[in-house]
Amino acid sequence: MKNWIVGVGLMILTLPAVAQKSEAFKRHYVNHTEFGTLLGRVTAGEGNSEITESKTSITAQTYNGIQLNPDLSVGLIAGMDWYKSNLVTPLAAGLRYQLGRKGNGRFFTMLDTGYGFTWFHKDNEGFDSKGGWMINPGIGMGLGKQKGLTFTLSWKRQHVFVEKPILWNQLDRYENRNYQRLVLRIGMSF
Amino acid sequence: MKRLYYSLFLIITGFSFFSCNDQCTETRYVRQTRPVTLSLTGIRQAGIVTEAARTMERPGKLYVKENYLFINELKKGIHIIDNSNPSNPTAIAFVNIPGNGDMAVRGNILYVDSYTDIVALDISNPKQVTEVSRVQDLFNNGLFDGGYWAVNMNTGAIQDQEVSYVTEKIKTNCEDNITPIGWGWGWFSMDALFASSSSLSSGGKSSSSSDGVGGSMARFALHSQFLYTVDQSNLNLLDISDPGHPDFYKTIPVGWNIETIFPYGNNLFIGSGRGMYIFDNSNPSDPQQLSVYQHNVACDPVVVHENLAYVTLRSGTTCNLAQNQLDVIDIADLSNPKLLKSYPMKHPHGLSIDNPRLYLCEGEYGLKVFDVSNPMEIDQHQISHIADINAFDVITIGSNLLLIGKDGFYQYNAADPKRLKLLSKIPVSSPF
Repeated sequence: MKNWIVGVGLMILTLPAVAQKSEAFKRHYVNHTEFGTLLGRVTAGEGNSEITESKTSITAQTYNGIQLNPDLSVGLIAGMDWYKSNLVTPLAAGLRYQLGRKGNGRFFTMLDTGYGFTWFHKDNEGFDSKGGWMINPGIGMGLGKQKGLTFTLSWKRQHVFVEKPILWNQLDRYENRNYQRLVLRIGMSF
Repeated sequence: MKRLYYSLFLIITGFSFFSCNDQCTETRYVRQTRPVTLSLTGIRQAGIVTEAARTMERPGKLYVKENYLFINELKKGIHIIDNSNPSNPTAIAFVNIPGNGDMAVRGNILYVDSYTDIVALDISNPKQVTEVSRVQDLFNNGLFDGGYWAVNMNTGAIQDQEVSYVTEKIKTNCEDNITPIGWGWGWFSMDALFASSSSLSSGGKSSSSSDGVGGSMARFALHSQFLYTVDQSNLNLLDISDPGHPDFYKTIPVGWNIETIFPYGNNLFIGSGRGMYIFDNSNPSDPQQLSVYQHNVACDPVVVHENLAYVTLRSGTTCNLAQNQLDVIDIADLSNPKLLKSYPMKHPHGLSIDNPRLYLCEGEYGLKVFDVSNPMEIDQHQISHIADINAFDVITIGSNLLLIGKDGFYQYNAADPKRLKLLSKIPVSSPF
């Protein structure tokens, strides 16, 4: 928790330093649709039985918003994250802020936060998954002025709560899952 | 451009603070047992003692007799509560009964189990309950809250298990969503709060107006001059022609994993882990098995109204693999019960019928109220759902709803089933 607060704070602090003056500008609709992969690791077990393994999942999302000025847009995000044991549907608010450009490329930062639902996840018998909060800060590079191919690198934290079937001599069993992944996405913006 | 690079550098540096390791923790609330040895002679000599009222810690079954409520404190005794005013129930005494799990009342006599024995208690003065008589050595073993006990008749020693609870936290790989084979073999799960194989209580409304009312999880029934008790495999009859002095009458083998008994009219409906047994009880001294409705292995409290029986099946209990569902069974022909329809539920437990309303406890998922006027469309007629309580068993008396769960005892006014009105709650001091 503390780590991502520090990260978001750093991004916010750097925004004024790279802001650019807007010229004759008209607000307009923007779309940024991406898909990619969620990369992470997990360590499970205790003592000698502790095992660490890599995790890879697929993610897709679409951002629909308004370009408020040449650098800043705000919008709403709907997506789908295919974690191995949970299909999560995040609905979030987000922003995209252009840091600067060089040649045909532009660099931007992003921040999405919202709630991941488990509407489309089908639980196995005895399991009951519930969604949780999501935050996804990151940076990206785009080709073209506003429209074109984009590449983003971000960090995503998604919480999921799972009620589990009880085993021998148990009266209650549940799991708090905090997925913390490095996210690589490719997408289009217009 | 320097500003751009500077910004990117800071952001990427910020990223390095982030962890890209999934962090998943499974929390388990686990029952542990510790063996203890008790003297049967000592327990009998100590007798039954009435003590000052105390708070509930681990409530078991619920029983109602006129203005009094009897709530079992697992293996400890019975809370007696004056319920003259359902909005303000008042605990008046606690009857200390070692090894108690169930109860039934006829007139002024309270029948309770105490490990191997059934004890008749005089409750004329609920503040000073006295022992009248005792049927000894009816049961050899039993289960209380996951703790198994057995008696050695030669030595008079009871080998019991003291139950305690611990919370475990385990780091997982975030992906264990597979139901382990045999996970339902949690014999001593939540339901065991209400399961004691040597116990008794009066299920449903019995034949005599002087009898009390028990819930659908009951293992005892009163009918005519008999008290019927079910243990793990048998139906036991006790003659209570003289209510203060019950006599053992006979034992009828039924099957394995017997759980509940529900008397209705001249029939007994016995719920077991493998099905529902229907007995003709026209001759109360000689119940005859008419049929058995078999289902997958599951726990199954039963309630009956006219030609329909409502059975809940649930998983993770003293039974094993099972669905969570409500079965509606046509019993017009008692010799040939037929499944009308099954409805998926989340974790159903006790239930109560006040036709056309069916009150169904969903364990940790609360209480649901259905209109069962059309038994083929029950799922489309859910009247209300109280989700923020823990509900194991329910009794309806008139417009009052009495409900027991691991977090407390609740009373509702159910005159308007769409909006159940909470009248009172007696909390449990340490839930679970």
